[in-house]
Amino acid sequence: MNPRDPKALLKVDKLTVSFGDNTVLDDVSFTLRRDEVLGIVGETGAGKSVLARALIDLLPEGGKIVSGDVALDGTSILSMNPKQKRELRGGQIALIGTNAKALLDPVEKVGTQVARVLRAHQGGSRGATWKAAVDLFAKVGIVDPERRAHAYPHELSGGMAQRVVIAMALIAHPQVVLADDATLGLDATIQVQVLDLLVRRCRELGLGAVIITHDLGVVANYCDRIAIMREGRIVELKPAGLFLKQPEEPYSGVLLDAARARPTPRGAADASAAKPKTLLQVDKLEKFFTVGGSNKVVRAVDGVSFSVGSGETLALVGESGSGKTTVGQCLVRLLDPGGGRVLFDGNDITTLPEREFRPIRRRIQMVFQEPYVALNPRWPVESLIGEPLALIPKTSGAARAKRVRELLDMVRLPARIADYYPHQLTAGEQKRVGIARALATSPDFVVFDEPTTALDIRVRAQIIDLVRDLQRDMGLSALFITHDLNSVRSLAHYVAVMRHGKIVEHGETETIFARPAEDYTKALLAAELPIEQSEAQRTRALDRHSVEPSLT
Amino acid sequence: MTLQSFWRGLPRPLRIVITRLPLIVPQMFGVMLVTFLLVRLLPGDPTLLMLGNTATPESIAALREKLGLDRTVWEQFVAYVGNVLQGDLGVSLFTSNPVTVDLMERAPATLELITYAMILTVIVGVTLAVVSVVRKGGIVDNFSRIYGLAAGAIPDFWVGLLLIFFLFYIAGIVPAPFGRIDAFVTAPPAVTGFYTIDSLIAGDWAAFQSSAGRLLLPVLTLAIVNAGALMKMTKTTFEDIYRSDFIRHQRASGLPGRAIIRSALRNSLPPIITLVGFLFGFLLGAAVLVETIFAWGGLGQYAVQAVINSDYPALQGFVLVAAGFILIVYLIVDILYELADPRIKV
Repeated sequence: MNPRDPKALLKVDKLTVSFGDNTVLDDVSFTLRRDEVLGIVGETGAGKSVLARALIDLLPEGGKIVSGDVALDGTSILSMNPKQKRELRGGQIALIGTNAKALLDPVEKVGTQVARVLRAHQGGSRGATWKAAVDLFAKVGIVDPERRAHAYPHELSGGMAQRVVIAMALIAHPQVVLADDATLGLDATIQVQVLDLLVRRCRELGLGAVIITHDLGVVANYCDRIAIMREGRIVELKPAGLFLKQPEEPYSGVLLDAARARPTPRGAADASAAKPKTLLQVDKLEKFFTVGGSNKVVRAVDGVSFSVGSGETLALVGESGSGKTTVGQCLVRLLDPGGGRVLFDGNDITTLPEREFRPIRRRIQMVFQEPYVALNPRWPVESLIGEPLALIPKTSGAARAKRVRELLDMVRLPARIADYYPHQLTAGEQKRVGIARALATSPDFVVFDEPTTALDIRVRAQIIDLVRDLQRDMGLSALFITHDLNSVRSLAHYVAVMRHGKIVEHGETETIFARPAEDYTKALLAAELPIEQSEAQRTRALDRHSVEPSLT
Repeated sequence: MTLQSFWRGLPRPLRIVITRLPLIVPQMFGVMLVTFLLVRLLPGDPTLLMLGNTATPESIAALREKLGLDRTVWEQFVAYVGNVLQGDLGVSLFTSNPVTVDLMERAPATLELITYAMILTVIVGVTLAVVSVVRKGGIVDNFSRIYGLAAGAIPDFWVGLLLIFFLFYIAGIVPAPFGRIDAFVTAPPAVTGFYTIDSLIAGDWAAFQSSAGRLLLPVLTLAIVNAGALMKMTKTTFEDIYRSDFIRHQRASGLPGRAIIRSALRNSLPPIITLVGFLFGFLLGAAVLVETIFAWGGLGQYAVQAVINSDYPALQGFVLVAAGFILIVYLIVDILYELADPRIKV
């Protein structure tokens, strides 16, 4: 196999896919060469995942390839018989999907799962395939592979599960790897590790890889060429460096701007005139959980102290499992802290009985991480936003309706949305409803739990703008729980970095980003994937294109 | 600490059995307490019932002393537990046999019937469910829909009577619905109490043929009635899992269809195990109509007789055996459940 084989490895030719009358992929054409990483970027609903599944002719129910063709090494995939298609899937084109834990059989050992993919394609004894799986586990960065192979999916972390899925994709030596939002939901540091590893393995083996994502940072750092998808079409396809420098399509420009958005940081300067009054003070907060059935204790929050002044925003940054959400839930008393104090406006709210805490609840509110899960699916938006108003005594029906309209306006949602149910809303609209719900009682303090996670680039930028406006207009104090460092830079005055239940570094946003003191903070910052392509990557991409200029 | 690491070193199935098994002792004790109190709480004096019209104050007192009724409740309970442990469940007022003897004769009859019925139920229910999900819209799928509707609505005795009518009376291809074995064939010596197994052990081919033939219709009846429920539930579970992300991913990884079905079925096991366990325990007494139709002489019939005749020792014995049986079934269900799903903590 010649890695410089100029013939296209995978050729997609005018592919059109429809679900009923609804055209989801419209005339999509591109080629993928050996030893090339192609990035396909688009927002939710652009048809990215459908494209990935169409490439292995395994569309979701109701989907149909209307016209066009997909050819692997010159052989049309669509004209294959079912047996050949089965051998193609996983054998020649492997798919790595989102949310690895859901992709693994929950009642089977992960080693067996990887081994049986190999057995399905190349045969071999159980022992031999198991050994091959364990060997590959070591190569995809799984520590202690022999023991991990015996684990069940629920015993693995998200990052580890993702590596297992990568091993599953690579085990049968495919020629093409499709990664469909493979790192969505992973922590930034893990995402970088997983992507590094995936791309390195693909380069070593000379595979063609397609990375499908909504994160421009990912494609900018790992891909040779970038395709932008919108409404089922590829609107632009260019070498990465060129694309980042001068995108042609206005839509590409909008995406890049949204991703680049680093609005002027809110320095502490404007508040320096008078030191603001401390609104919330957290003192040596502790929350331990015992693991069910054993006497092992997880120290989720282990002596955390910080304070937030009136009108200030503190960002609590950390990876999943660092205890940051637990801190937020202790503040609004969704969890009872195990130790320490939380002083809100001078009152110790940790020891207040529920009855006395209730009036304070309207002053301290929370925006939940997954708005769809946090919103009652059987209620229209109007009731959802109106519900917290019950905390304010003597609110008439008319006043309530008026307030709901005000709130919708405040979060920039049209009034007609009041009659919608959560499932009729987009992810961004759900987030906004969640925010409106938290703001309904005009709180002094709001805990935002991951407000920008898992949102499309443009929507994320809009939510950041919204929160900034609210900070400015309402003088809101906030605790911002996130692992999205980009949004921290735009929103928070202060940053506290959490790890294993403790705050490892705490200071002004500017200082932390410019001169992080702790190694862990540095690692977090290094894991950010800015869309400015890194030098090394760009040089390599240029090298490759200068070697084969005829192919661009 | 060393004990703990030793414990963790044991294979999971063994750990599950070891933790579950001792639980049966207090549970069984509880059952005995309840069955004892059950009879004590019933109104009326058993001596009056036993002596009937011939009761005189002297004979009553004598019988009370003989039965130990003059002692305190706790003394009586201890005596009862002692008797039960020795296998003495009292004498049936109706058959005049020791209850233990009656039960030993009848319990295997019912167990044999419902064991085979459950095996057939699982085979029919699960197969129909899997085929109708995998081949959606196919013949089996459509048949299973109609069957699912009908199975919930048709009573078991009616199915039994229909089968007798068509297969015995009209077609004449199955033996008569009179008991477990042909009257001319001697029952094999009891080892397990299951005629089919005992006859094989004894090498008695005629007895095996006869007992297997007699089993055919009642087993079919129970399976037809109960497989519908199992099929519907399996179908719902299996269908969800068959469409889940990890099955789709297995398809995208090129696993063959058979492996995918096996994997989806393995994931559907927990609710199937639960329902089968429930049906098993339920049928012990609920098969009574089918037992009656086929003159089976099983536990259900015995229990009904005991209730009708106020035969308290027999009733007490039945409740004890039934409860013990259900405890064992649920124990097995719990163990299988944990084996089927590694996410459940031992």
